[in-house]
This record gives sequence, C-alpha cells and structure tokens, in this order.
Amino acid sequence: MSGSRRHGGCVANEVVLSRVRALRPALIPTGRGMAWLWSGLLIAVLAFLVLYPTFMLLVGALTTTNPVVEGYHLSDLSLVSFAAVIANENVYVSLANSLLACGGGTALAVAIGLAFAWIVVRTNTPWKGLISSAGMLPLFVPPLVAGVAWSILGSPKTGLLNMFLAAFGSDWRVNFYSMPGMIFVFGIYYAPYVYMFTAAALRNMDPALEEASEISGAHPVRTLWTVTFPLILPAIISGMLLSFVVMLGIYGIPAVLGVPANVSLLTTYIYALTAWSPPLYNTAAAVAVVLMAVTGALVFAQQKVLSGRSFTTVAGKAFRPRALDLGKWRFLTLGLAIVYLLVVVVLPTLALLVAAFRKFLFIRNLASLVDPRQYSLIHFQKLFENTATIDSIVNTMKVAVITAIIGGVLAFAIGYTVTRTRAPGRRTIDVIATIPVAIPGLVIGVAYLWAWIGLPGGIYGTLWILALAFVARFIPDTVKALSTSLMQIHRELEEAAWICGRGMMSTITTVVLPLARPGVVAAMTLLFILSIRELGSSLFLYSSGTMVMAVQLLGFYEGGNLGVTAAFSLVQMAILAVLITITNRLSRGASRNGVVRSG
Amino acid sequence: MSKSILTRRGILAGSAALGTFAIIGRASAAKPFDPPASLVEGARKEGRMVLYTASFTETMLEVINAFNKRFPFVRVEMVRASGGQLITRVQTEAAAGKLVADVVDHSDRALMKRIEDLFADYAPPNAADYMETALISPRLWPTITPGWAIAYNSELVKNPPKNWMDLCKPEYGNAQIGEVIGPSGGTTWARIMFERQVLGEDYWAKQAAVKPRLYPSGAPLSDALVRGEVTIAPLIHNIVYPKKRDGAPLGIFFAPEGIPICPYATGIPKTAVNRNAAKLFLDWMLSDDGQTFSIADQGNLTSLKNPPAKLEGYDPTIHKLWVPDFAQSEKLHDPWLEEWNKTYGYRQ
Repeated sequence: MSGSRRHGGCVANEVVLSRVRALRPALIPTGRGMAWLWSGLLIAVLAFLVLYPTFMLLVGALTTTNPVVEGYHLSDLSLVSFAAVIANENVYVSLANSLLACGGGTALAVAIGLAFAWIVVRTNTPWKGLISSAGMLPLFVPPLVAGVAWSILGSPKTGLLNMFLAAFGSDWRVNFYSMPGMIFVFGIYYAPYVYMFTAAALRNMDPALEEASEISGAHPVRTLWTVTFPLILPAIISGMLLSFVVMLGIYGIPAVLGVPANVSLLTTYIYALTAWSPPLYNTAAAVAVVLMAVTGALVFAQQKVLSGRSFTTVAGKAFRPRALDLGKWRFLTLGLAIVYLLVVVVLPTLALLVAAFRKFLFIRNLASLVDPRQYSLIHFQKLFENTATIDSIVNTMKVAVITAIIGGVLAFAIGYTVTRTRAPGRRTIDVIATIPVAIPGLVIGVAYLWAWIGLPGGIYGTLWILALAFVARFIPDTVKALSTSLMQIHRELEEAAWICGRGMMSTITTVVLPLARPGVVAAMTLLFILSIRELGSSLFLYSSGTMVMAVQLLGFYEGGNLGVTAAFSLVQMAILAVLITITNRLSRGASRNGVVRSG
Repeated sequence: MSKSILTRRGILAGSAALGTFAIIGRASAAKPFDPPASLVEGARKEGRMVLYTASFTETMLEVINAFNKRFPFVRVEMVRASGGQLITRVQTEAAAGKLVADVVDHSDRALMKRIEDLFADYAPPNAADYMETALISPRLWPTITPGWAIAYNSELVKNPPKNWMDLCKPEYGNAQIGEVIGPSGGTTWARIMFERQVLGEDYWAKQAAVKPRLYPSGAPLSDALVRGEVTIAPLIHNIVYPKKRDGAPLGIFFAPEGIPICPYATGIPKTAVNRNAAKLFLDWMLSDDGQTFSIADQGNLTSLKNPPAKLEGYDPTIHKLWVPDFAQSEKLHDPWLEEWNKTYGYRQ
C-alpha cells in the first residue's frame, strides 16, 4: 500500500484527524451498550467452543470416571489422577524427553527459519520465489507422514540412507529412531513457522535503521546481529514459541521415530494411555493438564518478554525492504536453500514413492531397490477399492470449507475486536482465544466428545461437529495470522472513513476488510489446511458417514500396511498441493504477506 | 456350438479351487448359510448398518466385501478405533443416548463384558455349535477367533525358532525379536497369560532377558517384520497370513506348546436401528460360511466345536488351542500386567 493510497479517498489531514480523535470519547457512551453486547457475544461463543471443553477436560482430570457416563458431582472431585501422574516417574521422563526433543527441534527450526527468511527477503539470492514457496511445503505434510517418510529413510537397520552409505563403502550410519533423529525431523518440518513470522517482520522493517548502522561504520554482519535481529526479536520469539508449542502437541513424529527406540514423549504417552486396555482417560487428561501448564507458562513468558516492546516497525510501509547484494556468495545461499529443499521435500517424497509403489518394503540391497519387478500399483488399488477412501476425501473437503468459512469469520471478529477496538473484555477474549494452543489435540478430542455429545439438534455424527471442533482448536492460529494483517492497517484510514460519516460496519466492509483481504485469505487457507491434517479432534467425533482423511490415514498406519499408508499420504499431499496452488492463484496480487504463500 | 468344458480358464479355475481345498481342507461338512427370507427382506428394506469395530480397517473391509458378495443390498458403514478408544466412544454415546452402532465388535472380552447391559439378547442359528469356553455372555459372540503364531523374516532368518521356548534363546537376542506390549489389548493379554500359565512362571523373565523390541500393537510389528526391522515375532496369525499370501518374505508356524486364542465379543446394541441387517451380518459371520471365510481368507481359527475349514499350518492333533479362563483372566489382569511391564521394562 503506497503512502498516497494510505491518505487517499477522503481528505483527511492531521487537523481533521485530531478532531475525530477528540470526538471519539463522546461517541463511546452511545456505543457502550452495543460494545458490551458484542463482547458478551464473542465471549459466549468462545466459552462454548473453548472454555466448556476445557472445563470437561479438567473434570476428567479431577475425577476417575467418564463425566458423560457417570456424571460429575462435587463429591466425585479428587486428585487421584494427578497423584498418579505426579507419582509416576515415567511422566517425568516423558516430560523431559518432550522438552528436550521440542527444545532442540525449536533451536534448529529457528536457525533454519531465520536463515531462510533472511535469504528470501533480504538478499539477491536467485529463484527466491521458488525457494519461498517450496520452503513452506513441510507445513502441509501431516506429521505422521513425515515420521513414516523419515522412518523409511533413516531406520538404523533398513533405512534407505544407510543402504546408500553401505553401498558407497561408508561405515557411517544414521539412526533416526533416536532423540537426535526426532530433533532433526521436528526442526526441519517446523522451520516454516519461524519463517512465517520472521519473513513478514523483515519485509516490513524500515531499512533506514540498518542504513544508519552501516553509515556509522558497522559491518553488515554486525548490523545483522545488533540491529536487524533485535528489531525483529518479537517475531523470532513468537515463531519460536509457536513452533515449540506445536511440536509439544505432535503425535505422528514421536510415534514413528521415538516408539521403536523406547523414547516416550508426552504425546505418545498420552496416546498410549487412551489406547491401552482398559483406557486411562482420566490419567491422560491429567497428563494433558500438565502439558497445558507447561505451554501456558511459555505463553505467559513470551508475553512478559514482549511487553513494552512495540511493533512500530511494521505499522507503516512507505518503503521497500532492501536486498543485500551477495555477489558470488548468492550461489552459496542458493545452494543452502536447495539442500534444505532436498532434505525436506525431495528425499521424503522419494521415500514415500518407494513405499507406495513397492509391493513389500523389504529391500535387501540397491539392486533390489531398482528392480522393477518389485513395484506395482497394488497399494493404490487397495486404497481406492476401499469406498471409505473417496468418502473420506470428500468429507474432508467439505468440513475444511465449512471450517475455513466459519473460522475465518470468527477469527476476523476476534482479531478486529482485540487489535482495533477498545471494546470491553477484549483482553479476556484474547486470552480465551489463545487457550486451545496449549491443549494437546489427542486429548481435546475426547473433551469435545464429552462436552458436545449432548448438543440438541442432531449435530453429533455430522460434519458440522467436526467443523466446530476444528474452528475451536485452530482459533489461536487463525487469529494470529489475521491479527498480523490487521495490525498493518493504519488507524488513520478508519478514522478517515468515520469523518466521511461511515458507521462501524460500513468502515469494516469498505475499508478494513478489503485491505486485510490478503491476511483473511491466508488465515482461511491456513485453517483449511490445518483442518485437512487434523487428527486429534477427529478421532472421537467422526462417525460412519463422516470419516475424514486423517483418521483414515491413521487407520491404515495402525493396520500395519505401510504401502497403503504411503500411497494415501501421496494422494493427500497431491490434493493439498493442488488446493494450495488454486488458493494462491485466487489471492495472487493481493496476498503478498500471506501466511501460506510467503509468510 | 457347444463349448468345451476343458477350457484353459476352466482348468486354471479348477486347479485353483483344488489348491485352495488342499490348503484349507475341510474339517467337517460345512452347513451352507441359509437365512430366513423374512430376515433377508428386513435387511434389504433397511439397506444399511453401522459397524463399530476394533479390528484393523483392511481386515474388516475384507469381511464386509465378502458379506456384500452374498448380500449386496446392505451397505455396511464402519467406524474403526483402537480398543480403548472404541469402548470410550461406545460408553459415551450410549450414555448420551446417541449410540448409532448396529453391531459392536471388540477383541477385549473383559471390556465388552463390563458393558454387556448395552447389548440386546441375540443368538445365531448355530449357537449350539460354539465352544462354551469361547462364550462370556449370551449377548456377545465370537465372530473372529484369532490365534497366536510365531513369524519370522524368511530372507533374514536362516535358523528360525521352532517353538515358544526358543524365543528365550540368547541367539535370538540383540533386539532381533519384536514383541507387542502387554497392555495393548485382549489378544495380547491372552498370549501373556498363556506364557505364564503354560510355558512357566519364569518365561517372561527368560524372554525379557533377550531384550525384545517392544511395539504398541501387532500391526506395526508385522510391518517391521516384513521390512526387517526385527526378524522374529510372535504375532496374531491373521496379521501376517495375508502378507505371506501376497508374497511377503515371511515364514509362519504354530508352536507345539499351544496356540493362545482370543475369541472376540460381538453384539447388537439394544439401541440398534437396523436390527435385521445387524442380525443378518452377525448370523453370516458366525455361520459355517462366514467362519470358512474367516479361516481361509483371513488366517483366523474358529470357536466352532467342529471347524468348517482347516487353517494352513494348523494341525489339531499337534497344536492345542488355549483359551484363557475368563474368571481368572479378570482376576489376574491388573497385577500380572503390572508385573509384565516391570519385567520387560515397559514404561506405563
């Protein structure tokens, strides 16, 4: 948005604006009732979507019964489940493993994400557009698929990488069934979260600050460490925290890479509690509360760290981010980017292709790997002979569209209220909308079941209840993606609309929404993609007519058929790639700051 | 022009049929499934039913396909979940008055016994043909009876074990053996009960000493076995049998000390809407025809007193079936699992 456009439309000079600002307090009392009503409505919606299931989760943790089957009374409340958790040293081991795996993964993700953001936004590295788009691909790969792919590549006994190393006479072997293996996979797959935040911040940062540093004689590297990175520290911390929290809730990667090495993380521990016979949901709920406490503490710490800092560098955009001329070094940065893409995109996809087309995944040697007689379409035939496969794809698309629309509207309402109004209770709204980020998906699924199974109107067993769960689960992600976009619109534009006599709704629809469209599209796309991947909340809410892809994929994996699992993973990735391409085309030209496209 | 009976296709089909007969054999004269016309008509009118199952998706799809070959007018909609999750779902839905299942199928008889009140009285036409030890309730029936075998990767193991006790030999140490964890469900519980009650009080300790690699359930273990991640594993026969049939490098045998079996518990909830379809489905599964399919195509055993087909590799004169005593099973479950976890160093 250019400076002239910022001031375009009505003539709105500073004098007039100051009058408007002077008028606003007078306007507030008349709109006070409406403001309370609006905030109350949002809080009520969030209470239903977030607080009620969270309450049921706490009830589950504080009782020893199924709250729907046995009901719950004050006399039932006890700390038995918590006591069992606290007394169990395995919980501490799992917690320590989780912190180590996710901490290490986050460190790697920050290193990769930040480097990528700098390469794409601030250098003249060739093929930046391609690097930028391809670098986001890991975001669309379901964690279970990532785990399976790296298991095929990095198993200590049968991994393809080890086979190649042996074939080339190397004694060196890789073992991805280990803590370092999990850290590596976490790091490379969640780097895009850091990239999303830091690339946007770098793009919106005023280069004058760096120029001032360099005029003062600072070396570019010193400028990078003393000016650039400190200025985007809030974005780095936000990306770091988000990737850490997301990793904490991931089941697929530790399930495939950690379990064979007997390395238990909290998510695999929780899943085991729910899958054991008999299941221990109350204990799982108590462990989930521990996980929520850890996440809550981190979110609190982040807000403490960032309080007092401002995003002023991202408010105005009357400049262009400058690109550093790297000279011949630009080929080194290009090489680094290509290596990353090779590791994150090409190798796992090749592994999945081998698994999907090979009759059996027993590969004696390289000759066997390339033996065409070992390959067939049998897994794809099995996949599509199953009518539930097509049903699951159709259902997933339907529920993702519903989720994207409802979630997009709700996130816009929350984001606008929190970032651009002085509505009462907006802080409360913000806090409630952040809660789901702290709840592991594997447990929230049963909490949604407990909370919503009694809903009137026959919503249980339909796609709508799945959509509701996805909206609730991904409110924080969607609001965050939208808020960044909303924060970039200068308040003067709304004030100018008010001067012209526009009301609140009219200003939103004619000024804010068009300007925030890239963010809205990006947030809805993100929601769409997350809905396609979501497993935890689907597990208990899907029914015979509403099977979704994530559940079907888990069914194939748990059924021990890696070939069909890989085939379905490839189908899922292809569908996502097509959808993302379509979405990008739809939002082309408007989505320069889109989350999915460029971060 | 009359067609020659001896066409190439006819010969091939005949050979295949003979081959199948030779493999399966016929243990007793199977009675063809002949449901009452009223039941078939009722199921046809309903046109669908909802099946909740803890069996693996692909396994149960094969069952549904076989059923639909005979009764194509009943669309079977499946909800599959792991054992614990399925029970939680059934209990919660039932408590909320929203149980939509017409049939619930579960491998853990003890868990199903605890919720037997949710099920309607039901007995298949051939109820009297079933072994009493396989029945735990007049409402729950053993549609599937899986048995434990020992499998190995035939490309990698040149000196395979011969029996259960061999799995304690140090030569199979160093994580060559894969084991399903004790708390994974009803079928594994049957195996570990068998190990302790039949193979000896110290069997777990001896076997744990060779440090087997632990897996959360049989399906991923069977996949790991085919890949060569582990080379030997005790596994439910129906998990490995289809893989071997399709050409996977597997050797499978039933051990002479006995075959622990775990009859499923399947029933029709009182709230079932499509009762005729549900009854037709269960009657078929429990019939000689259904059990023949279960044995021949899926590698299961049967809880019928006179098996209608013989499973490849299973010789009743050599291999004794071992069914856990249900009362003992209930009593010993928790303390023995705790011991098993400690012995094998499994974190719970």
